[in-house]
Amino acid sequence: MSQEIEITGLNKSFGQGAAAFHALSAIDLTIATGEFFTLLGPSGCGKTTLLRIIAGFEEPSTGALRINGKEVTGLGPDKRPINTVFQSYALFPHMSVAQNIGFGLKMLRKPKSEIKATVAEMLQLVRMEAMADRLPSEISGGQQQRVALARALAPRPRVLLLDEPLSALDLKLRKEMQSELKRLQTETGITFVFVTHDQEEALTMSDRIAVMSAGEILQLGPPQEIYNAPVNRFVADFIGDTNFLSLRVKAIKAGEAVLELPGGKQASARLPASISPSVGSRVTAVIRPEQAEPTPAGQGEMQAIVESATFFGTDTHLHLLLDDAQGFVLRRQNRPDQPSPAPGTNLGLTFAPGALRVLED
Amino acid sequence: MGCAVAKARFSINRLPGFGLIAVATFVMLYLPIIILVVFSFNAGVSQSHWDGFSLRWYQAAFNNSQVRDVSLRSLWLAVTAASFATILATLAALGTTRVGRFPGQTMIYALINQPLMVPEIVTGIALLIFVAAIKVQTGYTGMGYLVAAHTAFCIPFAYLPIRARLETLDHALEAAAADLYASPIQAFRYITLPLMVPGILAGFMLGFVISLDTVVITEFVKSAGQDTLPTYMLGQLRRAVTPEMNAIATLFLALSLMIVTAFFFITRTRGR
Repeated sequence: MSQEIEITGLNKSFGQGAAAFHALSAIDLTIATGEFFTLLGPSGCGKTTLLRIIAGFEEPSTGALRINGKEVTGLGPDKRPINTVFQSYALFPHMSVAQNIGFGLKMLRKPKSEIKATVAEMLQLVRMEAMADRLPSEISGGQQQRVALARALAPRPRVLLLDEPLSALDLKLRKEMQSELKRLQTETGITFVFVTHDQEEALTMSDRIAVMSAGEILQLGPPQEIYNAPVNRFVADFIGDTNFLSLRVKAIKAGEAVLELPGGKQASARLPASISPSVGSRVTAVIRPEQAEPTPAGQGEMQAIVESATFFGTDTHLHLLLDDAQGFVLRRQNRPDQPSPAPGTNLGLTFAPGALRVLED
Repeated sequence: MGCAVAKARFSINRLPGFGLIAVATFVMLYLPIIILVVFSFNAGVSQSHWDGFSLRWYQAAFNNSQVRDVSLRSLWLAVTAASFATILATLAALGTTRVGRFPGQTMIYALINQPLMVPEIVTGIALLIFVAAIKVQTGYTGMGYLVAAHTAFCIPFAYLPIRARLETLDHALEAAAADLYASPIQAFRYITLPLMVPGILAGFMLGFVISLDTVVITEFVKSAGQDTLPTYMLGQLRRAVTPEMNAIATLFLALSLMIVTAFFFITRTRGR
């Protein structure tokens, strides 16, 4: 696969001297052609700044940015083969839906007939044919979202940037637009760079995810890898729900740590290369709520007592108290023949090898 | 329940005397004007005794060549000054809202709005001295002084609505235009300018009305034979008040009302 975007040694600070704010530090990133790439992180992590630098609205303080092999730092947004779907949509309020979609092509001085044909094609692509002559103020939020997408896709950019485009939509519409976006990306083959703070959105749509915090990329990989093998506590906490356990190291052998579980049993977990705890010290370990299973009391690796249960429709979250008083959440699929245990019930917990992971703090 | 909550909330129009003050204020505002308009249709010369309906004073006003001259001069001056003021105010508004913050921004904002704060009589006297000196030096006594003075005086009035309009414009719109391959000039031509139009029209109309209305500035700056409608009326009132003045004032009022109404509709329909 060819490289669409190459970012090397990119830094961005705002302000001068001691008051300077480092929005991005030492970003190295390669995004492949046709990839659905997501920048994921909490607000203020620098993901939007990175997007604005790719679009050309901000210049990096240092570092290089190549698009399709061509250095673009110093080029304005109107000189880059990139279009953006803005968080606020930024539809031109005085232009009809069709005029909005055709604006980029008009600026590129395409012939009128071509503009007309592309606008019609884009309207069809986002299923807005009936709304061509409406003003943005006369259509719903979800429809505005589609128009913003069509407008950005119409000039057939090499890269489409999406800045939290779904955050203003309600849950049902958001789900709908998620699959719509995925469909559009597959159909057009355009490289999508998607910015979001919604981890579920990132997991369901992306080919690869970069998890960002405080101006740095903490982890870069496919959704499964990010979810199953988070590199540190922040990533584990940010992506999905996780039980954090503080466990004592009993022994270390061949990259694995033998840990003492609450209640005294032992389990081994692979150690990440970045940490080397000493025997007897405590480390942070995680187990995802759905990767543990309840067993009858007395069996399993750990013993717990049910504190409370929260019903979520498809599953129930059991809030447990382990032997050493650490909390643990267990996600249990609801089945009509298996009622969830009442508060006060004793039960055991078991988990598959590999579910227990040691993390860098 | 909801009703009880609403009743318990403080509301100024429930205070004793509120209605009385409101009525008195409106009477004070509009009764003199209503009387002026009514007596412009009086058949007699009295301002206090009704002698029957007549349009004779309107006829007299229309046949008065002086009234025609000063009215046309007023309109010409208002259109010219408001046009210049609107162009300059538009540039000023762009310069103060479409760029990053710069040192002295608040200072410039204050300077642009200076004529709103300086008493008009002070500006008038200052202009009188200033213009007199130039007249002596150059010998030029044309309308240029009035155009320049009215333009400068109208700029802040034109500036306020234009700036207000620009401030509500999302910067993302211009970013979106640039993102869609518009050069900065194209982004201005196709996005910023069309969206500014309601503000620009409002600015122009405010400037126009202000120029049409000002007595003090004109009185101190004009040369001989450059009376505008307000200064002419003021001069006439020093002699005798005939209902002809009422008729002229009523027409003037009608023109102002039409402009304000047009202003309201333009800003309302274009303002979305």
